[in-house]
Amino acid sequence: MAKSDDGIRILQGLLVFGNVVIGMCGIALTAECIFFVSDPHGLYPLLEATENDDIYAAAWIGIFVGFALFALSILGIVGVIKSSRTLLLVYIILMLITYAFEMASCITAATQRDFLTPNLFLKQMLERYQKLEPDNNNDKWMTEGVTKAWNKLMLQNQCCGVRGPSDWQEYTSVFRITHSDADFPWPHQCCVMDPQGSPVNLDGCKLGVPGYYNSNGCYDAISGPMNTHAWGVAWFGFAILCWTFCVLLGTMFYWSRIEY
Amino acid sequence: MGRCWLVLVFCCLGQLCADQSLKPQIAAPQLATNNPTLTTVTLEKPFCMFDGSVHPNKSYVIYLYAMKESASAISSLVTDNDNKPLNSTFQQTSGGQLGPYKAALFNVPNCASPPKLAEVGDVNKVSDVLKQYLFRVGDDGTCLYDPNFLAVCNPPLAPDTTYRFKYVLLDSTEGIVKDQTLWSDSIKTRGVKLPLKIDTWPGRRSGDMIVITSILSVLVFLLLVGFLASVFSAVMGSKDSSAEPRCMSQTNQQSEPRPQLSSE
Repeated sequence: MAKSDDGIRILQGLLVFGNVVIGMCGIALTAECIFFVSDPHGLYPLLEATENDDIYAAAWIGIFVGFALFALSILGIVGVIKSSRTLLLVYIILMLITYAFEMASCITAATQRDFLTPNLFLKQMLERYQKLEPDNNNDKWMTEGVTKAWNKLMLQNQCCGVRGPSDWQEYTSVFRITHSDADFPWPHQCCVMDPQGSPVNLDGCKLGVPGYYNSNGCYDAISGPMNTHAWGVAWFGFAILCWTFCVLLGTMFYWSRIEY
Repeated sequence: MGRCWLVLVFCCLGQLCADQSLKPQIAAPQLATNNPTLTTVTLEKPFCMFDGSVHPNKSYVIYLYAMKESASAISSLVTDNDNKPLNSTFQQTSGGQLGPYKAALFNVPNCASPPKLAEVGDVNKVSDVLKQYLFRVGDDGTCLYDPNFLAVCNPPLAPDTTYRFKYVLLDSTEGIVKDQTLWSDSIKTRGVKLPLKIDTWPGRRSGDMIVITSILSVLVFLLLVGFLASVFSAVMGSKDSSAEPRCMSQTNQQSEPRPQLSSE
């Protein structure tokens, strides 16, 4: 039975290697999800106001799953080296639970990403940007978040509206209620700004003279980071799960071969 | 390209005599891209339209009249019987509904040296160029409600309405209309849509989501099956090992150099 003994050694080696990779991927997943949750682009208020911020929930789950994977991989290595049935049984059961959570995170991130369409952000921008009279505290919080996020977005990315400044002209909005069309065909943040932060030429901006207003839409600046976020969580988690699947099957096989 | 086109336009305008076949034109779309808006319309000033009627030693002024297209059935005259210009205001004509109202007055634009539209790129000159070249009807949102306002009030227009405009040349000393253009073509202000009507349904599912969900579901199923199979085989194996000594001796043979299999 030398062949099976070699086989067992190889299986052990493979399982240890598999667990090492899982541990490292777990730490990478935690780090990646912490990065996404920290919201470096300041887009979270937009999602919060759509009441559809599940890609952030997926990232939060990812943080804890990553750490759990790291801890469980250490347990797995110890269990495989010691050939302990108890340890490996605990490892398998906890890994299955972690697997389920990570699966939930991946599917959530991938599914919720589909909901983030230009129309969603357009409707939210028109209904919340600079809304003067919020209905309640929750509404007020969301409105302030959306207004600040849009102002920052328009100034930093030199863009206007979701598809372009024409969004402000084609649709009525709460902004239009408080700002007349003659003075504010679109918010002044859409104008090209001088270094002091005021429009270079307000008349040129209002008339739409090329070079004095930002004619491109902000949707790319919104969807770019959100896509990275959602796909980073979903596909990296998927890759980890595929690898973990193989390691788990191997561990189950190894466990069933250990004699009491 | 724009510069050549505009120079050509000005040359042609200069050659035509200022007769009644000219109309106010909307401002060049390459320049004023946001035109007409909800409540404003930006028109070109009447360059070289009144050249035939202007004498060098007299002073003239240009009036701009605006009216809703529906008012043309009621009245579209801008002069009275003595050839004096109509002094109607926005309020008197209900925003141009009952007839034309005077929206603006300004000096005759300089035909000999029109503003160079290419200079719009220069930050220092753009204000002057815009001011000389065009006029924005509906620009002033406060003059209607200001009781001290004495000049010509140019309040915002109504959305989604067709308007027509006319330029009138007036001799400022005699106060008599010398010339007038035709009524412009109908210009409609923008209408708006409600944001409630925006459809936020995402449509069909993306391919990513289908792949991830289906593959992960299959993998989880296989894992559970594998787990049950290994538990089952472990239970069966322990029952067999307690029932058959043959397997025991085999494991005892293997147990000496292979400590890891005979685990505690």
